[in-house]
Amino acid sequence: MARTASGTQIPELQPGGRLEHWAERHLRYLMLAPTMLILLALTIFPSLYMFYAAVHRISPNPDLPWEFVGPGNFVRLLTDAQFHVALRNTVVFTIVAVTFEFLLGLGLALLLDRFIRRLTFLKTVLMIPMMLPPIAVAITWKIIYEPQFGVLNEIMFRLGLPLQAWAGDVNLAMFSIIVADVWQWTPFIFLLMLAGLASLPVEPYEAAALDGASSWRQFWDLTLPFLKPVIAIALLLRVMDALRLFDLVFILTGGGPADRTKVLSLYIYQVAYRFADPGYAAAISLFVLFVTIVLSTWFMKRMRLAE
Amino acid sequence: MVRKLFLVLAAAASALAISGTAWADFTVLVPSSSEGDGLRAAADDYSKMKGTKVEIVQAPYANVFEQGANAGATKSGVFDIILMDDPWIPFFAENGHLEDLTPYFKQAGMEGPDNDFLSKSLAICRNPYNTGPYVCLPYVGNAQMFFYDAAKYKEAGVDAPKTWDDVLKASQTLTKDGGGRYFGYVFRGGQGNPVVADFMPIFWSYGANMFNEDRTKVTIDTPEGAAAMKTFLALRDVSPKGIESYNANEVGTALAAGTAASSINWPNWVATFEDPSQSKMVGKISYSPIPAGTKPGSSEIGHWTMGIMSASKNKQEAFDFMVWATSPEQIKISAERGNPPVRASVFTDADLTKQEKFRHYPVLMEAIQASTPRPRHPKWPEIENAFGIELSKAVAGTITPEEALKNSQAAVEQITGLK
Repeated sequence: MARTASGTQIPELQPGGRLEHWAERHLRYLMLAPTMLILLALTIFPSLYMFYAAVHRISPNPDLPWEFVGPGNFVRLLTDAQFHVALRNTVVFTIVAVTFEFLLGLGLALLLDRFIRRLTFLKTVLMIPMMLPPIAVAITWKIIYEPQFGVLNEIMFRLGLPLQAWAGDVNLAMFSIIVADVWQWTPFIFLLMLAGLASLPVEPYEAAALDGASSWRQFWDLTLPFLKPVIAIALLLRVMDALRLFDLVFILTGGGPADRTKVLSLYIYQVAYRFADPGYAAAISLFVLFVTIVLSTWFMKRMRLAE
Repeated sequence: MVRKLFLVLAAAASALAISGTAWADFTVLVPSSSEGDGLRAAADDYSKMKGTKVEIVQAPYANVFEQGANAGATKSGVFDIILMDDPWIPFFAENGHLEDLTPYFKQAGMEGPDNDFLSKSLAICRNPYNTGPYVCLPYVGNAQMFFYDAAKYKEAGVDAPKTWDDVLKASQTLTKDGGGRYFGYVFRGGQGNPVVADFMPIFWSYGANMFNEDRTKVTIDTPEGAAAMKTFLALRDVSPKGIESYNANEVGTALAAGTAASSINWPNWVATFEDPSQSKMVGKISYSPIPAGTKPGSSEIGHWTMGIMSASKNKQEAFDFMVWATSPEQIKISAERGNPPVRASVFTDADLTKQEKFRHYPVLMEAIQASTPRPRHPKWPEIENAFGIELSKAVAGTITPEEALKNSQAAVEQITGLK
């Protein structure tokens, strides 16, 4: 029997067969193997396959060979009007939604941190939207926006205001999606900001107060610089997520009306599965991946996150 | 010891996983809707009667197409039968995903499906349409009908709408008097399949067509197309606000709640409208064929059909099930479960027609026989998407009707390569 540091006796391994010895020697690899295999099957192989597919025209007929088109699918991006619409909508959505989420999330965090720090229940309630499945959020908002029987129009009607089509109106559809997204993801920014605020040192604020710095001055010169890494991470994660928006659009508008809410993820889905053109869908996906990587790298450098 | 136990468990789990994929004698892919529910119930009956294990995989409408296309493209053989919406047939058939049923009929000593099936129901199951070999069998006899509240129409001075002008006349009055809470007409204006499905019957009733007879030319941007678009947009003006996002549920709810007087709709909604727990309009909705424009009205056919996947490893079992499920007895049971039939004998069966909930059967049978299929093209999903975008823009008013027709013409020409 061997003993641990605390004195507990543990049985020693008995010498076994060759297989057991081999397993013993390579245990670390064996323990890692399932994860590596899953990673290979679910991430590495599909990624490589996507690169391969992006340079081919793939017929839905399995008896026809894949036709190598080189950069053809990428060149097609330049002239595809639907892709341009989806790209524009994605950019608009990302900028507007993430900006609102950031401002509201930071504002709420400052408010709760400074004035109502002890209201744990309120903090928990504010985080509920983030915990809900995106599909449930989308369906909830679909019911809220429903033009004839929806809650929102019922309120408008009772207030004597003109009823709106919300998700069905060309001028309101994108706004409606942004509101739903802001509702769901502001708590995420709020949570990160709250954590950031809780970790701020007290001394600089005491010194600033002694020097007679106003609250605004303290916020601008102390809080914001201290929060910079947290803000950068929060914005980065939200931008990357906003670029992949799918659920809300799929459920609320299907990309309409008049293509006003068609975003890149929805278009990729349509091209791959509705139009059975996986080669072109792979090319668009690679474009989105490229944009995300470039944006993230630029952002990290700009915010000096690498340091 | 723990390691050995772990290895044994892993081996057992692998064996279970491998055998689990082969537990069923055949697998059927169906939509998560009344059509799929009906076939699921039939499959349960078949399993009990024959001792055959049938696995039913249900998926939302769009996912049935996607999963079927994926299974076909990869020759996975994961599905033996697919319950298809009929516009998908050219895609599946022309990409080699569907089995030609001719040899199976021969082996069964049959020349083909019997004459009790409605001719239009059989025509869509042949590829090319009405001339090629059978690649599926019809199961659910969907075709659009015109649904309207006869009492409201009468109030508006129209006894029974025969033309789109009648519909417009009544709808304009009803919407005007409705004060923003009641509307004369409602339709599926959602981008893509919904708006296209509700536009096509109007398009046809003005003599327009997407392609010429031999499918060598796109013919959307024509005077007939313009006349259809004019009526369609006039109907939009008497429909609820937000119609641009309406799909089947919104239209069905508006009719069942009694907030709209009329619409083009599918027969599987009849059960909802006649169910007191779901409808305020029980016994109040009348059914008629699609109104005429400058030509006789024509319904869009939307049958659900069963085909055998080419990569299936259980083709004979699949064929036997399909023949059984589409027999007169089973189609009658399917009708009682709420799915419209595809056989004349069931449409005229006295047991059914004497029941109030089947009072629409004569109209539906007439509608199927006067129906038109959506343009039969393997790229129909892409065509429908492009056409749906332009129609959605026209409905939303972001482009003129003329631009919508011109853009649609150009988009469909580009997709099909026809000039």
